[in-house]
Amino acid sequence: MVPFAWIILVSILLFALGAIALITRRNAVAALMGVELMLNAANLNFVAAWRYYYPDHLDAQVAVLLVITIAAAEAAVGLAIILNLYRRFGTVDLDQIRLMRG
Amino acid sequence: MTWADLPALYPMLIPAATAVLLLLTLTVRRDARLAAGVAMAGFIAGLLALAASAAELSHPVTMLLTVDRFAVVFWGILLFAGLLVSVFAVGYFRTLREPREEFYLLWLLAVVGAMVMAASAHFAAFFLGLELLSVSLYVLIAYPRMQSRAVEAGVKYLILAGASSAFVLFGMALTYAATGTLTFAELFTHLTLFPGDVLLLGGVVMILVGVGFKLALVPFHFWTPDVYEGAPLPVTAAVATVSKGAAFALLTRLLLGVIQAQPGHSTLAVIFTLLALASMIVGNLLALAQGNLKRLLAYSSIANMGYALTAFIAGGDAARVAIPYFFAGYIVAVLAAFGVMTQLSTPEHELQEVEDYRGLAWRYPWSAALLTVALLSLAGIPLTAGFLGKFFVLTAGMAAGRWTLVVTLVLTSGLGLYYYLRVITALYQAPLEGEQPTPPPLHLPHRLSVLTGLALAVLAALLLLLGVYPSPVLHLLAWP
Amino acid sequence: MILLALILIPLLGGLLAWWAERFGTRATRWVALVATVLQLGVAAGIWAVHPGGGQTWWLDYARPWIPQFGIGLHLALDGFSLLLVLLTGVIGVLSVAASWEGITVKVGFFHFNLLWTLAGITGIFLSFDLFLFYVCWEVMLVPLYFLIDVWGHEERHFAAKKFFIFTQTAGLFLLLGMLGLVLTVAARFHVLTFDYFTLMQHPLGLYPLARWLMLGFFLAFAVKLPAVPLHTWLPDAHTQAPVAGSVDLAGLVLKVGAYGLMRLTLPLFPEISRAFAPIALTLAVLGILYGAVLAFAQTDLKRLVAYTSISHMGFVLLGIFSFNTMAWLGVTIILLAHGLSTGALFIFVGILNDRVKTRDITRMGGLWARAPILGGLTLFFALAALGLPGLGTFVGELLVLQGTFLVQPLFAVLASLGFILSSIYALWMLQRVFFGPPAPHVEARDVKPHETAMLAAAIALTLWLGLYPQPMLDTARAGVAQMLSTPEGGTP
Repeated sequence: MVPFAWIILVSILLFALGAIALITRRNAVAALMGVELMLNAANLNFVAAWRYYYPDHLDAQVAVLLVITIAAAEAAVGLAIILNLYRRFGTVDLDQIRLMRG
Repeated sequence: MTWADLPALYPMLIPAATAVLLLLTLTVRRDARLAAGVAMAGFIAGLLALAASAAELSHPVTMLLTVDRFAVVFWGILLFAGLLVSVFAVGYFRTLREPREEFYLLWLLAVVGAMVMAASAHFAAFFLGLELLSVSLYVLIAYPRMQSRAVEAGVKYLILAGASSAFVLFGMALTYAATGTLTFAELFTHLTLFPGDVLLLGGVVMILVGVGFKLALVPFHFWTPDVYEGAPLPVTAAVATVSKGAAFALLTRLLLGVIQAQPGHSTLAVIFTLLALASMIVGNLLALAQGNLKRLLAYSSIANMGYALTAFIAGGDAARVAIPYFFAGYIVAVLAAFGVMTQLSTPEHELQEVEDYRGLAWRYPWSAALLTVALLSLAGIPLTAGFLGKFFVLTAGMAAGRWTLVVTLVLTSGLGLYYYLRVITALYQAPLEGEQPTPPPLHLPHRLSVLTGLALAVLAALLLLLGVYPSPVLHLLAWP
Repeated sequence: MILLALILIPLLGGLLAWWAERFGTRATRWVALVATVLQLGVAAGIWAVHPGGGQTWWLDYARPWIPQFGIGLHLALDGFSLLLVLLTGVIGVLSVAASWEGITVKVGFFHFNLLWTLAGITGIFLSFDLFLFYVCWEVMLVPLYFLIDVWGHEERHFAAKKFFIFTQTAGLFLLLGMLGLVLTVAARFHVLTFDYFTLMQHPLGLYPLARWLMLGFFLAFAVKLPAVPLHTWLPDAHTQAPVAGSVDLAGLVLKVGAYGLMRLTLPLFPEISRAFAPIALTLAVLGILYGAVLAFAQTDLKRLVAYTSISHMGFVLLGIFSFNTMAWLGVTIILLAHGLSTGALFIFVGILNDRVKTRDITRMGGLWARAPILGGLTLFFALAALGLPGLGTFVGELLVLQGTFLVQPLFAVLASLGFILSSIYALWMLQRVFFGPPAPHVEARDVKPHETAMLAAAIALTLWLGLYPQPMLDTARAGVAQMLSTPEGGTP
């Protein structure tokens, strides 16, 4: 079986990729996708910890289901707001949306 | 969980049920006043239930929640803030030409989320509460969808809060991998037994990033001024009060015990000390240059969270009194300040600049007086709630010998006076002679409603009462 | 109960005066006047009932306030406090009278702030609970800030902020010092209390932390006094404040600093204060000379008076840190006499400003010829401030110098140079204002009846202090002796 550390490493990489997407991509939708990637990195971590260390507990599985549900809600609300952003500004490029200082 | 546990949860279940009820009501009849009325009734019923359930305290309700005195006090604060923000919203949104019923629905949900956070004893409850609060807030911030600034603020908050939730979740996953448990109590045991476990510490630090974001502690504060400025005023008040109160209550639940159990120079204590110092210094310094009252209050809230962290780091029995008291004072003052601003604003035209308030005292003396008292309270001047809050924080800090924090608190408070005074000075300045039109005319579109007037009067009374006669509240806070 | 009344009279009077504005500004002024006269009357009544000597503590009033933290509403009165409360009453009446015509905008709010400032100051003189003391300390600041900020002169916003930030930051160090003291006592003796008398019974001695705590107590009062490196707020605040604000500042607020040092800093930290004395005495002498020299360089009349205040307060600091009953009695007399004479001087400056529309000395020449009564009165108060024998300040400063000479001869000799300098500045001021070539556009109107009455009262009191200070000295003696005695000094 693959050592646990490798899986942790992969999940950390996924998380970092998501964070990088969030920071570098100026498209609001892409940034939201970065957030989703980060959430799923955490899910992978939960599942791996359950499978390797705590197969008797259901905590992690429940947590993963909870996260998937919440992430769906978050994505729905987020996309709706971004849609409205597009209607207001005619773009979803975060660099071009700067009405406020700072 | 048994039926016997249920009454303890009524204060939280009632607003949650009210949200459902409101949703059903909206399918039958769309009426903003009715919606606001239902929401307020929900908050009031929650507060009444709280008074009833305060008798039987301090037991875990399932493994997810603990309803102890601390939770009850914070629930009271959150429900009160919820009620007042609804009152402010009624007057504020009256000119909005779009549906405004859903505002109250989302706001009920946000407060329930905050209450879950304040009482949580388990990571699942924590995350659920956090997301319920955050997702509601995304929409609330961007609620006036024709106002570009609000939408911009909403998107900024959406992306950054989403990222911070991801940090919290990843931290939970790491903690779980290290300990195999999701309860706070077990986390405490593991953290005190193995303070050097890298995986565990990494997890806790990532959770801190998320909580720090919600509290706008210094390296995680950059969203605050923009969101404060762009969000509609009642929601700004909500972000400053409910969101922060819930996050701090959670932080206290999660880590106050750990900080106390560990030696004074443990990694966590050092991290918290740095966060507190940075928040106090940066918050106060950046506030100095602000000409926009909303942004100014944003930086002021950053500094105030630094003060609260001082009590948190100090720990001990003093902190258990200081933290809730400080927050009660802070939230009442912030609500009063935003309440006055809200009452003079509409979604289309908010009075944001300090300049807009020049000479307010000579036109609206009562509003100006309340704003003055609120600002003095935030600055920590005696006879106001803010002073006693700061006094208890200082007591806690000194009792624990945290001299760096205490002295920084004192010095930065002195610095902070400058910007509060700048606003107060503007309030009492006569409109300049000769250049009469310069101050934009304050427009009060209609007479102050009885409800808003009552809310503001209650806030004024609380600001002074909490500043002069703290004994009953202290008695309530004698936390087992 | 009567002590509580002393504080409540101006507090309620302030609210009532504000409310009375709806019946016209005259109503507000009369309410304020009645409140201040009533306060003065009550204080004088206490004095009349309790003849001096004998007993140290005359009155005592204690109720629990925040029992969880050992905080009580503890008021007490000894002869020393009583004299200062009497001064507060007199200055209060004078400042209401001095604003009778000068203040025309927001009259209600003005008198509210004026009376609340007086209430805070009275509270300070009566508080024997550290927390209550701090609260009164701050309650005095905010209304005073408004007095300067709303009704002051051109640079008022800057001056008001500077004043507030200086004193408030210093006040926070006082708070830190108090908390540190209370918590240290709680840790060592297991008594959590803010009560002055209880704390006095648990001396910290030379406990290492006590040095820092004493510094906190010293810093706050030194800013208020003001002692020299911390004085820069005073000239600005004095210059920009309205007449009543300046009168309150000079007459009372500076006294609060001295009172704090005498009542709290030294009795609570006797050993450390003695070790600290050389530094404090150096600051005192620096203040005496620096204030006098700078006063000489001023052309703005209010600034000039402000710098002379710094010089006089140097004498106060000198006297306090010579730990000597004679010097402390001298300090008491200086506090009273300086309060009266400087207060009256500021009223003059107000009257002058009213006549010639400037505070610049160089543009005031020749007033003597046109307004002889005004000139004569100013001469009197300038000489009083200078320390002419027969007038109050002289007695005080002489006692201070005598007392100091017994223990610190070097500092006493240096300080006496201040006498010479102060005569130079007083005479210089008179010469410029009254005997120079007449300036154009000076309105010749002399003093009005109510101004004469106000000033005649101040003259009578100054003469009393100068010629027959014995009643005051007798009244203050027991209290002063108690503060200078060892910590076991005692409870009421």
